[in-house]
Amino acid sequence: MNEAEKRLSDYIDALNAEQEPEQLFGVAGTPELEKLLATVRTVRTLREPALPEPGYPERLAHAVVEKMQAGEGGKQKEKAKIAKSSRSRRLSPVIALAAGLLLFVLLSTWGGLFNSDVVHAMEKAVAQLANYHGTLEMRSTNAAGEEWLVRQVELWSEGEKYAVRQADGTFTVNNGERKWQLRPEKKEVALLPVVPDPGKTGFDLRDEAKRAKEYPHQVVGQELIAGRKAVKLEIQPPGGLPYYLWIDAVTNLPLQLQTAMQNGLQTTYTYTAFELNIKLDPGIFTFRLPEGYQVVEEDPGQLVLTVEEAAAISGLSPLLPQEVPVRIFAFEDRIVLDYGDTTIVETPAERTFEPEANAALGTAAGGPLEVWWERLRWHQSGLEIQIEGPKRVELARQIAVDLALPDTSSVPENRARVQVPVDMDLVKANQQQVDRGSSPWQLDPLQVAVTFVNLEVTPEGIQGKPAVPFSAFKVTKNNGVQARVEVSDGPIKQVYLERLIRQDETGIWTVVGYDPR
Amino acid sequence: MDKRSDAKYIEQICKATWESLYRFIYYKVQNREEAEDVTQETYVRALAYLNEHNFSDKNFQGFLRTIALNVIRDRWRQRKRRGLPLNFEEVNPRETVTEDHQRDVAQRLVIENALAGLREDQRKVIELRIIKGYSVAETARLLGKTEAAVRTAQYRAVQILAGLLDENKETGVIRK
Repeated sequence: MNEAEKRLSDYIDALNAEQEPEQLFGVAGTPELEKLLATVRTVRTLREPALPEPGYPERLAHAVVEKMQAGEGGKQKEKAKIAKSSRSRRLSPVIALAAGLLLFVLLSTWGGLFNSDVVHAMEKAVAQLANYHGTLEMRSTNAAGEEWLVRQVELWSEGEKYAVRQADGTFTVNNGERKWQLRPEKKEVALLPVVPDPGKTGFDLRDEAKRAKEYPHQVVGQELIAGRKAVKLEIQPPGGLPYYLWIDAVTNLPLQLQTAMQNGLQTTYTYTAFELNIKLDPGIFTFRLPEGYQVVEEDPGQLVLTVEEAAAISGLSPLLPQEVPVRIFAFEDRIVLDYGDTTIVETPAERTFEPEANAALGTAAGGPLEVWWERLRWHQSGLEIQIEGPKRVELARQIAVDLALPDTSSVPENRARVQVPVDMDLVKANQQQVDRGSSPWQLDPLQVAVTFVNLEVTPEGIQGKPAVPFSAFKVTKNNGVQARVEVSDGPIKQVYLERLIRQDETGIWTVVGYDPR
Repeated sequence: MDKRSDAKYIEQICKATWESLYRFIYYKVQNREEAEDVTQETYVRALAYLNEHNFSDKNFQGFLRTIALNVIRDRWRQRKRRGLPLNFEEVNPRETVTEDHQRDVAQRLVIENALAGLREDQRKVIELRIIKGYSVAETARLLGKTEAAVRTAQYRAVQILAGLLDENKETGVIRK
């Protein structure tokens, strides 16, 4: 090996180790070598940057504040260093050995390497995705295997901006500062809140790549999707059902997503066409009122800089997590704190707290906490707080320090005075029935209890209004696995229920016992 | 104290904007420690400037990038005085900030085109060594080659790439 080859190789190694090669090795000896080193740096811009250690934004802000408060701005010579502990870039021999062994294990297991390669390539492709335009098709399948086209949309995406055109011509745009919807049939433009933005939770290329990276996943095959060769990835969200993502073998971008069968339905999102990194017409994301259209205000809210402003506009005294939101929106009667993928909505708590019947219940601020899919909701200090998104628990704990999620780890004994025998074959058949989309009431412990109690009262069947009315029933406990329903009227005082087949929002409730009055 | 010196305000600004600024800087300096230092210095200078001039921060991201390029250039000059070269060009801040996005996309396309001009085995070496960051030994193991063969192949591949990128100079690739 000649000296120039070694020099180039050492240079690449130094860059890979996040070191400064010029400081280590000095100046390149010849113009030719200098040119090669510059080429390495240029090619390396394709690589995802090495991001700082967690907690960097806080340390950065702290260091900036220190320097600003020192009053010398950028001229100060003594640098307020960001916590040096995050910069131990040279590995100790023991750590280096451990890292080497780990790498060896990874390299010896080709399956693992292949998986990480697929997701790494997707991550890289997504990072390089400046924009895209495509046609997205949504198809649903029921548990009986019947499939139908739900809708087809055309969409444009660039950074945080997106625009979606539906088959009926309805055109929705969110450009990060405003969100609006053109409704050609009514000749109107509705101004909508920028966040929370439920329309954004469809199949977004960036979101899916992020999720695939976060969750355990494995390659399960290769298939042809919309005429394109794709790698099929099984993704297993913790505590959830597996779902599938197909990654285009050429572009390395997500091409199709198939959700798990939930509530008897499974949805498949497919990009039947897409073009990447193109010159998008900036007019797509620009608000213009077409001639003959009128503006309909649907309280789009205002983007404000401080919580104080938000409080003044909404008339609320918001409760805040320690973590500072990316954006704050104020409405006449609510405040929305936007944390990117997670949103907090605070509104006045006007009525008594009524959790969704099918939600699991925890506690927060001394009262009930509703846990419903990816959402937490509770009342605190005269406010109703609703947090939706992956960081919900972390942020909720910063507001309600006593927050306790439903405890499903220790399932207490069924202490019902009368045990109800369960026919598991029947329960399985009922669950399958619900999965096929019928009798969804079995997903609601309250309705199951109402039906059970009334059939005890009138075994011949429930005709018209039930003998013991709905108003007499109240869910007093629901940890997602077990529930108890109190009954204030009739021969039964308390009903005990369990999710015997699946312990998530798709599992049916079955009565396992009761206490007579 | 002015709002822009207020700790909470600074924290909000840093948290909301650091990542895109850091990424921008990292692409220029290709080193985490330096990117962290330049990011910090950029905020200090930017906020101090806004304080002094009561400047509108409407296009704050663009403003931050301009400052970042100035910080990088200053460091480059300091190093040059110390005889340490830095392998990126002294860019025109205004042009880079306003057209940065398009330039980034164009640059990536040019590099990818150049990579496509390599032989499969050469491209694989570049991908593993430079883009994925594997060591010579790991790359050799993955490709079933000797370490010496990997070093030779990567040298040859970078030579060819340099030539291919030269051919595309007019398309706006940032080069020294």
